[in-house]
Amino acid sequence: MMPLLTTAVALPLLAAVVVGLVPARAARAPRALALVTSALVLGALIATWARFDAGAGMQLVEEATWIPSIDVAWRLGVDGMSLALSLMTAVVFLPAILYGVGRRPLSRAAAALLLLLEGATLAFFLAQDFFLFYVAFDVTLVAMYFLIALWGEEQRRYAALKFFLYTLIGSLPVLIGIIVLFLQAEPNTFDMIRLASEQPLAGAGVGASLTFLAFFVGFAIKTPIVPFHTWLPAAHVQAPTAGSVLLAGVLLKMGTYGLVRVNLQMLPDAFAQYALPIAILGLFSALYGALVALAQSDFKRLVAYTSVNHMGYVVIGVAAAAAPGISASARDLAIDGAVLQMIAHGLVTAALFFAAGFILTRAKTRNLDELSGLMRPMPVYGTLTAVAMFASLGLPGLAQFPAELQIFLGTFDVYPAIAVTALLGLVVTAALFLLALQRAFLGETSDRWAGLRDLGARELGALVPLIALTVILGVYPRLALDLISAGSWL
Amino acid sequence: MDMLEETLAMEDRMLAELVWLAPIGALVLGAIVAILMALFVARGRQGLVGAWVALAHLAAAGLVVAIWLTRGPARVMEGTVSMDGLALAVIGLIAVAGAVVVALARPVVAGTDREGEFYAVLTAANLGAAVLVAAADIALVAIALGMLSLTSFVLTGYLRSSAAGNEASIKYYIYGTVAGGSMMFGFSWWFGLTGETGLDAIGQSLPQAPTAALIASTALVVLGLGYKAALVPFHFWTPDVYAGAPLPVAAYLSVLPKIAGLVALARVLPLALPGDAAGWSTALAVIAAATMTLGNLAALWQRDVVRLLAYSSIAQSGYLLMGVAALSASAEGLPALVYYAIAYTASNLAAFAVVLAVQRERGSVDLAAFAGLGRAHPWWTAALILAFLSLLGLPPLSGFVGKLGVFTAAIDSGLAWLAVVAVINTVISLFPYLRVIAPTVLDSGEEQPAARPAGAPLAAALAIAAIATVAIGLVAEPLLTLAESATMLAS
Repeated sequence: MMPLLTTAVALPLLAAVVVGLVPARAARAPRALALVTSALVLGALIATWARFDAGAGMQLVEEATWIPSIDVAWRLGVDGMSLALSLMTAVVFLPAILYGVGRRPLSRAAAALLLLLEGATLAFFLAQDFFLFYVAFDVTLVAMYFLIALWGEEQRRYAALKFFLYTLIGSLPVLIGIIVLFLQAEPNTFDMIRLASEQPLAGAGVGASLTFLAFFVGFAIKTPIVPFHTWLPAAHVQAPTAGSVLLAGVLLKMGTYGLVRVNLQMLPDAFAQYALPIAILGLFSALYGALVALAQSDFKRLVAYTSVNHMGYVVIGVAAAAAPGISASARDLAIDGAVLQMIAHGLVTAALFFAAGFILTRAKTRNLDELSGLMRPMPVYGTLTAVAMFASLGLPGLAQFPAELQIFLGTFDVYPAIAVTALLGLVVTAALFLLALQRAFLGETSDRWAGLRDLGARELGALVPLIALTVILGVYPRLALDLISAGSWL
Repeated sequence: MDMLEETLAMEDRMLAELVWLAPIGALVLGAIVAILMALFVARGRQGLVGAWVALAHLAAAGLVVAIWLTRGPARVMEGTVSMDGLALAVIGLIAVAGAVVVALARPVVAGTDREGEFYAVLTAANLGAAVLVAAADIALVAIALGMLSLTSFVLTGYLRSSAAGNEASIKYYIYGTVAGGSMMFGFSWWFGLTGETGLDAIGQSLPQAPTAALIASTALVVLGLGYKAALVPFHFWTPDVYAGAPLPVAAYLSVLPKIAGLVALARVLPLALPGDAAGWSTALAVIAAATMTLGNLAALWQRDVVRLLAYSSIAQSGYLLMGVAALSASAEGLPALVYYAIAYTASNLAAFAVVLAVQRERGSVDLAAFAGLGRAHPWWTAALILAFLSLLGLPPLSGFVGKLGVFTAAIDSGLAWLAVVAVINTVISLFPYLRVIAPTVLDSGEEQPAARPAGAPLAAALAIAAIATVAIGLVAEPLLTLAESATMLAS
């Protein structure tokens, strides 16, 4: 059987090296190579899906010796969460590469960095070995640093540095946590599957708590959870369009994925202790993100803060699932919802950041107060963006609705007050998106904007698949929920 | 008759034991022949001497491998020399890195008067370092350290026309003799307390000595070796000496003498003070924390990349010392130290090699000289970025595997607080390292004509160091296995 997971990770990494060796004369080659590679990656993951047995938990593990003396191995495997997030990653990378960063056609350096980032994020979601997990975590950091610093907007260097710094501050406690788990396992290992089943720190008081908090801080910065979020607006706003798309669409999920994979699966006892405060932090993030987004007039900043809001729901769901006394069915409901929310948010936010990028290249502004009546000159753009906004505010029939619904239902079992309060966030996001639509898309079209041309083929190619998947998942969420099936691996 | 037979048997045994000294012998031979060659080879062809000593270094490395494979470790010369896994691994490192340093130095010393002697002195310095890491007797430690120090002073002041070099040499010399003298005083105190010079024998009775004498004498010993390793508070010489010395010498001082000093600490303290007598573990942990913190904080303000690398190398000493501090309570300490030493040597030599190439082409090592390097020299820039990210400790580079090792050792030995300090330091160190990396790709520099092309030896040294920086991180197993077997041999 072909090692599909290894292929999905290794192919982009290999292509990143190959693209550096392409002669400079072949100007179109980097983009073509990157696109073909990421299409093949998506193919490999869809083929994995075909082989996948949703009820069987962790499976299709591919293992190869790497550093046996400390039990590090090339271990890749999938359960519902890993596979769903990997698929979403592969889906979001295609339009990001299609749209590209920097000058056109895509330069060799840009193509190499995008492919490096794709390989590393997939390695992160598929890794079942902590060494590989950490390597992938930090490689995404370096690749994204250069994407922001080289092709970002005016304050790109400041934003890139801030992103590097915060992520490094987050990744090092994770490293310490990994070392503690490694040392506590008997015999010592970096094998995440073993660590999840043996739980070497089960019930161990202060040590387990500190380890839990080390992991939590790292993943909280990545997610980001308020008050660890201050890097996010800078990085998202200053990054090039495709960079914001990948940052919000894919990289933020690394935080919540870690929260489930490590904190929940390997340290459930410690998580039970902290479930309530973390749920409250999640609630605070959701409300704070929504309220701050309400005050934004920059389209990109607005979307960036709604990410804080949406990721807050994920945190609430994960914390509820960890709470002592939650019923098994509510727990599965909450985690299914949290993972679906990660997928939905990945697609929807990617679409919204594209929308923000598209309008900037045309109107030279993203200020929603300046823009008006865009629907008239750009009906296709307006419609697709409106769908993305409706999805983001949680309209039924679009992807985020079933996700948020499940999170609220699951949470209601243990923290009814938090679940109910979180609904307030929905009201605020509904208000802010409707206001944005009204300000920028409806109303009179000023002369300034009358001449804007609608989306071209490349832009449609980037946006339409994301919107289509948002609708499909909204109408038929079981497509993803059957795959995720948290009950089989939690 | 019995006496005679005994003497003969002893001589036989020592003759047989000479096999273990072969790597050291290769360096001795290398140095002697180099001096003779320097006398007789025409001035324009003194590069031959360099080729010869590089070969002698590689031969020493080959002999290390041969001994490891055929004989295994042994205590020889009446127990004074311990050719154990630790010594063999580090002598192997000294031999290979020594050859790389010869290649780094060649473009700088080529054509100067006494070029051949430079190589001879460099070989002698490595001889001192090699003996230092194997010495299991305080007299031998003192001799080896003296030899390493004297030769280092000479190397630092090699370019006689350079005022900065002369000043650096004098400064290094004055600090060095004081530190060396303190160590001698500490050793003589130990000898007075125990009546022994062998480290194992000292370890039998030294811990029972009066506490005040024990602590004071140990502190003096740590001062002497800590000076070589640029540990805080014995680090003051480092930036001035690195900035004043010829760049390849600075590169050399930042790796091999430092590592030899740290390995000597790792041998002397656990043997002479078994367990954690006199509390040396805690003391070293505190020194490690201070060293990394001061090094990283001071590096923040440097615009001169050599001074930045000097402070960075101080900080790196702190990480290395974590391995030594963990020795008393964790079996992970020694392998962590050995692996980190190898990874650090590769990364730091790669960084210095690029800085040297930039200095030769652009005539400056100011941060501004690195602007736009990425466009002009993509390969150098790639090497520079990889080297600095490895020093920062990012995976999958060798520096990361090194840090993973020392962090694990520290946590395993109950020094979790030290690991936390090291984490905070890693974050701080992002700023100086990124200050060098960022302008190479983000700024556009003026197009400059290549004043003095890098040349084949420098390019080779750069390539070797850069490839090693990546390769021993990605394929860490062989070196980790080596580090695991780099144990110390008790008599």
